[in-house]
Amino acid sequence: MTDLTRLALPRRRFLQGSAAAAAVLAAPGILRAQEKPAELIVRAWGGAWGDALKEGVGDPFTAATGIPVRYDFTEDNEIKPKIWAAVDQGRIPPIHVNWDTTTNATISALRGVTVDLSDLSNLEGLLPLAKPVGLDGYPIVNTYAYVYVCAYRPEAFPDGAPTSWNVLIDPKFRGRIALYDDGIGFNPISVIAGGGTVADIPGNMQPGWDFYEKLRINEPLLGEDADFTNWFQNGEIDVACTISVNARAAKQNGIDVAWTVPQEGCKVDTDGLWIPKGLPTNEEYWAKEFVNFALSREAQEKWCSALGLPPVFPGIEPPADLAGDPSYPTTEADFAKLVSIPSPVLVENQPIWFEKFNEIFQG
Amino acid sequence: MTPMVELDNVTRRFGDTAAVREASARLERGEFLTILGPSGCGKTTLLRMIAGFDRPSAGRILINGQAIDAVPPFRRSIGMVFQRLALFPHMTAAENVAYPLKMRRFDPAEIPERVERYLELVRLKGFGSRRPHEMSGGQQQRVAIARALSFSPDLLLLDEPLSALDRKLREEMQLEFRRIQQELGVTTINVTHDQREALVMSDRVVVMDAGRIQQADTPAAVYRQPSNRFVASFIGMTTVFPGMVAEAPEGIGEIIVGDVRLPARLPAGGLAPGTAVDCGLRAEQVRVVAPGAPRPETTIGGLVERRIFEGDRLVYEVRVPPLGNLTLMVFDHDPATHAEHEVGARVLLGWNARDLFVFPKETTENATRQETGPAS
Amino acid sequence: MTADAPRPPAPAHRLPLRWRVMDRIEAVAAALWPAAFRRATPWAFLAPALLLVGILLIGLGYVISDSLHELNPATYRLREEYSLGNYAAFLDRPVYLLVLWRSLLAAVLVTAITLVFAFPYAYVMVRTRSGALRKLLLVSLFLPFFIGQVVRAYGWLIILGKQGLINQALEGLGLPAATLIYTYPAVIFGLVQYMLPFAVLMLAPALTAIHEEVELASESLGADWLRTFRHIVIPMAKPGLVGASVVVFTLTLTDFAMPEILGGGTNDFIASTIYDMFFQLSNPGLASALAAVLVAVGSLIVALVFRVAGTGTLGLRSGS
Repeated sequence: MTDLTRLALPRRRFLQGSAAAAAVLAAPGILRAQEKPAELIVRAWGGAWGDALKEGVGDPFTAATGIPVRYDFTEDNEIKPKIWAAVDQGRIPPIHVNWDTTTNATISALRGVTVDLSDLSNLEGLLPLAKPVGLDGYPIVNTYAYVYVCAYRPEAFPDGAPTSWNVLIDPKFRGRIALYDDGIGFNPISVIAGGGTVADIPGNMQPGWDFYEKLRINEPLLGEDADFTNWFQNGEIDVACTISVNARAAKQNGIDVAWTVPQEGCKVDTDGLWIPKGLPTNEEYWAKEFVNFALSREAQEKWCSALGLPPVFPGIEPPADLAGDPSYPTTEADFAKLVSIPSPVLVENQPIWFEKFNEIFQG
Repeated sequence: MTPMVELDNVTRRFGDTAAVREASARLERGEFLTILGPSGCGKTTLLRMIAGFDRPSAGRILINGQAIDAVPPFRRSIGMVFQRLALFPHMTAAENVAYPLKMRRFDPAEIPERVERYLELVRLKGFGSRRPHEMSGGQQQRVAIARALSFSPDLLLLDEPLSALDRKLREEMQLEFRRIQQELGVTTINVTHDQREALVMSDRVVVMDAGRIQQADTPAAVYRQPSNRFVASFIGMTTVFPGMVAEAPEGIGEIIVGDVRLPARLPAGGLAPGTAVDCGLRAEQVRVVAPGAPRPETTIGGLVERRIFEGDRLVYEVRVPPLGNLTLMVFDHDPATHAEHEVGARVLLGWNARDLFVFPKETTENATRQETGPAS
Repeated sequence: MTADAPRPPAPAHRLPLRWRVMDRIEAVAAALWPAAFRRATPWAFLAPALLLVGILLIGLGYVISDSLHELNPATYRLREEYSLGNYAAFLDRPVYLLVLWRSLLAAVLVTAITLVFAFPYAYVMVRTRSGALRKLLLVSLFLPFFIGQVVRAYGWLIILGKQGLINQALEGLGLPAATLIYTYPAVIFGLVQYMLPFAVLMLAPALTAIHEEVELASESLGADWLRTFRHIVIPMAKPGLVGASVVVFTLTLTDFAMPEILGGGTNDFIASTIYDMFFQLSNPGLASALAAVLVAVGSLIVALVFRVAGTGTLGLRSGS
């Protein structure tokens, strides 16, 4: 498969900049060689996330190539089995590009349903973060990092931002705290908050489970991205562990929300893009062009600024409101304050952690 | 002795219409009374008020001398057999019969014996463990009776329970009801539109029409001396025709119909000569007089217009030219004369003077049949 | 007109269009489905249902087959070899039994509460003499029926939330705000509200079948309203009650949206767990095992209900 793609896709060096991209993509030679599909379907998260992708990547891509981009807001978890089944049964998968968490993308890569992206021209010079860990080549490519911050309502914290995750087990906030419903983003942090160290992960998760037991008594709400914004907006919660993007989106919508990185640190993770196997050759070609474009400086700058996340393209200035923000790590020192768990560890242990998490919180 | 039931000017209105108007009647202990009338006459409304499912708009109902308006049905000592029997399908016959005993807090030790006794009374010994749907129509009737009587109510109400049965079974059950009623001496009110049932079963018959009681009397009196045109025409097959009083002594007088004067029985109190009246002649009281046979009091010639064979009798429609071409209905029960008179034949009709009823012309108030309440 | 021998002579007058159309349709039907096929007609009508059940059974077969293979986390595919590992995992992890138990308890509670509300509702709807009231009851029943479960659940969030209508009213009265959502009772409440129309629609025909005379008979025999209800109406409405119970019970047992939305994440039902297994953890083996257990438990309970309630339920009585 990889060989075939290589044959069909001679390495090209375009998309150094947007002007070049437009010029090269419009070249008649390429039009003949690779017929443009009627549209590209990109699975995305909705809300602030989808808006950012459209503004930063989709629209400029369409402007440059003339190919319309359609967004499919199917849950990331629900598109996964559909793609898997399509690949298994030799059908054309339902989407061209999947925007996915690195952990889930890695699982799909392990399953062998992703197209290798090693030949993308824009991979060169990206931060090491872009390269998936523990996988050969680029079955997926990471596009930015993000931090599961401690988001809070300043009104509930008159003395300033919470300094420790212990705030989650403070009875004062009983029923007014929130986590992701699979514990994602807090699982490693709970170990540290419970008295363990990063070195305990994944070998000794017990301090984390102990912390969760205490947290459970404090009656947290468990939800997904959209829920956190709702809950802050409706005054249901005072503090949550959520991706900074959600907190920032809420703040930009006029909701009084702030965020911080407590002393125990926050989990930092990455998202990426991947292309399912089984697409017609020309569609796969343009899907790769889309991903390649998403890695260009122009796209990275716009997309990641809109999200408020540090891109994998080096040297891009953070948006004004996030300069110096701990949720926007750029330097080694910034990353040192955060907790990063290698993807292979996550892939292997996430299901186990999830079951344990469920056991505690559904109990 | 106070009557068992007394209706004192009972009226029931539904919106603008009155289903029952100013009904007054008394029912003595042990009596079997039938309320007879066409559907919509108000008889069922009256029965429902006695049972307690409905309340009079005006007037009072007394049972044992007590006004019972405020007493709910379940505190009245009244057994009722319903039109659809209303047996409880999820209970056996015995459980149906035991139901009122349990609800009325009889001594549990007494209940099985009582159930047994009443099933025996209705001749269903040994059928106690059957469910209603495992029994015949007649058996179901009997269960319904036993259930309505097992708690020894003061009063038994029958709401046309026999109307759904075929004729043969119905006639059998009429006698059965009467037997049981007499055996127990229970005061009973029966409601029906079947005149035969009313005459066969009752001590007294109340004829109702348009929400009013038209006549209350013994079956024989209701049949023989109907008090008005409605009663006369509702009971039996009666030809009604207009006439005028010619001579009016008490008892038998004379009326003018068409071109002829006919002797007739005038109502008590008499009527002034020249009064317009309605006359009635029952088909079963008119005979086709065979030549040479003894003649009844009145005879008149006519032409057979139609002949209907009904097995046990022949029905003739006979046109009588002297009576203003009136067509009289005549029943011929005499097998000897059957089939003798073809359509078009001349026949001699005869009847006795007392069988020709005469009533004053109906006043408008009595004639408003259409103004009746919901269906009975 | 051609001389078409076997045909009856055409009437001189013109038949109404509808008759002629119907005659044509009948002629076509007779040509397509001759009388000789008539014995097969019932089967032809049954075919779509059989097909549907067949597909369902095939699906169930796949579920059971998947449940007998464990996941290989290195490839995220089910292993070739058969094993009962998934069922062992189900029994091993108390959380699954707990969530199943929570779903079952909810199904029982929701069924009981729904019937308590639906029965009088259906009774009044069937018995009222006021056409206007009956219409009002019917409309209020159907209106929420047309609003999906998810939308309704979000509606409850608006009403019951911390800053929702009720808490605003409480605040206005100077009372402390109450926690009304994201709790188990909130899930039960949402489900009851969702199930009510189903139950009423199942009960109404059963109550219509009870002639009013039967209730009057009971009263005349000495039972007050309450005892008539207990001894006559409820036993006679049993087919409707059993039908409504089975429908509400199974719908609740397998419900996903209400606990998901009104439960705040900590009150999942077994359907949510199956979803998580399948989609979030990509473990179709364990998901299938849980699904198979759910189907088995649900079927067993429904079978038991029919067994206890007798063959007469749902009006499937022979004879009578």
